[in-house]
Amino acid sequence: MQLGIFTVGDVTTDPTTGRTPTEHERIKSTVAIARKAEEVGLDVFATGEHHNPPFIASAPTTTLAYIGAQTERIILSTATTLITTTDPVLIAENYAKLQHLTDGRVDLMMGRGNTGPVYPWFGKDIRQGINLAVENYALLHRLWREDVVSWEGRFRTPLQGFTSTPRPLDGVAPFVWHGSIRSPEIAEQAAYYGDGFFHNHIFWPASHTQQMVGLYRQRFEHYGHGPADTAIVGLGGQFFMRRNSQDAWNEFRPYFDNAPVYGHGPSLEDFTAQTPLTVGSPQQVLERTLSFRDYVGDYQRQLFLVDHAGLPLKTVLEQLDLLGEILPDLRAGFAEGRPAHVPDAPTHGSLVAARQSAGARA
Amino acid sequence: MTTVVVVSAGLSNPSSTRLLADRLAAATQDALEEVEVTHVELRVLAHELTDHLLTGFPGPALSAALDAVRRADGLIAVTPVFAASYSGLFKTFFDVLEHGLLDGKPVLVAATAGTARHSLVLDHALRPLFSHFRAVVVPTGVFAATDDFAGTDLDTRVRRAAGELATLAGKVTAPDAASTARRSVEDELADPTPFEELLRRASRG
Repeated sequence: MQLGIFTVGDVTTDPTTGRTPTEHERIKSTVAIARKAEEVGLDVFATGEHHNPPFIASAPTTTLAYIGAQTERIILSTATTLITTTDPVLIAENYAKLQHLTDGRVDLMMGRGNTGPVYPWFGKDIRQGINLAVENYALLHRLWREDVVSWEGRFRTPLQGFTSTPRPLDGVAPFVWHGSIRSPEIAEQAAYYGDGFFHNHIFWPASHTQQMVGLYRQRFEHYGHGPADTAIVGLGGQFFMRRNSQDAWNEFRPYFDNAPVYGHGPSLEDFTAQTPLTVGSPQQVLERTLSFRDYVGDYQRQLFLVDHAGLPLKTVLEQLDLLGEILPDLRAGFAEGRPAHVPDAPTHGSLVAARQSAGARA
Repeated sequence: MTTVVVVSAGLSNPSSTRLLADRLAAATQDALEEVEVTHVELRVLAHELTDHLLTGFPGPALSAALDAVRRADGLIAVTPVFAASYSGLFKTFFDVLEHGLLDGKPVLVAATAGTARHSLVLDHALRPLFSHFRAVVVPTGVFAATDDFAGTDLDTRVRRAAGELATLAGKVTAPDAASTARRSVEDELADPTPFEELLRRASRG
């Protein structure tokens, strides 16, 4: 079981002080948060990708390479990589390069992006979102697996005898997750390729997450990748914890009430009841997180959103310290009752080993 | 069994909007042999509707109301006239409704107002809204000004409109025929489009 964090890279005013971090501060904070994640023992750090204010999450591979140079062990990932508006050729090149630089500590999560105006800036149309995700990924999938690609499609200029460089490290493409909140077509896509499926989880009720993951598992089996319970599932989550539960509620409430995504809407009480957001003591976060398995089955990756809603860096780092404290119990809890045939999330090492054993059999 | 959902956006209790909605529901019930009528009163969903606008997902009561609309064979939609159009609360309910959910669905539109001067609201506001949703709006719309509740004309129009709705809702056995072009998230979850087909579509344009 991989446990980690993801960031969307928003620059948000701290509602309790009225202070807005500069872009520079936010970019440096992101690095500090990633380093802290490794220090407390987490397995994954993932960054979003945005091309509009108030985000600083453009150029994700620059950020990840810089973090990669300052860390030893943590897997660098994305949440998400915009497969719709980014040229699949650039994705193939950038992430293969990152793979080499970090000795394989890379995977990525495909997403579509939901900000309409961003699409035309890149010559695309949000109404073609699913089609873009489908066609672009089909090309990306080939670019990493075939040395010479000739291709023609609808959304990008044709390729004749093209080789994407550098070739993936050890001839193994980075593992790919497909993220979607509410598009069954993306669960279908992940299942078709035998890739991972990641459900954001944090904006919608559990019943919906359960439906999407259920569809992915069923279709994963349909496409012959193995039994449904061996499909590779990741979930988002979010929490705010303090040793004393009431302190957590009091401190987090103004951030929640003013948060860019759900602020000025449902009460914190309603939102924690309707979504996986957990506010409380470390023990409560531990128990709630372990309950996600009840509706998605044993899964492979749990990422938390920790740096959001204008929380200051100091608070975010404290949250990570607390997460580090419950990490052994989280790992033990997720291991408990997990059938032996349920795989871990693929890593570069496991994919290389699988390729070698397949080669030995052939 | 025909299922009919009545969406009404009155704010007071009792409201003339609900009063009109009840008369339309009763007349529809009279016109159909077996019918199940569900009332969706938007006033009690006001908070969840606003929350939905902000969070993107429906709370439990709103979710149940949207499901009822999804399953309904026919819809009766009744709004008070506010500022020369349907009320904001009424519009919000349809703003959060998933596209494709009303495809081919028979809808009876009705509105209430203080005076008859607003009666064209049915034709300049409600019909275009439901045309957008590709619903089938029954020919007779029912507008009731305060005065109309005193006369018998209203009853005639209520019965005619309800009869038209009953005819359409009772006969359209499945909305599939009209809605094959747009599949809902629920359709995909129940019966996913195979990936090879998605791939073909992506590049076909």
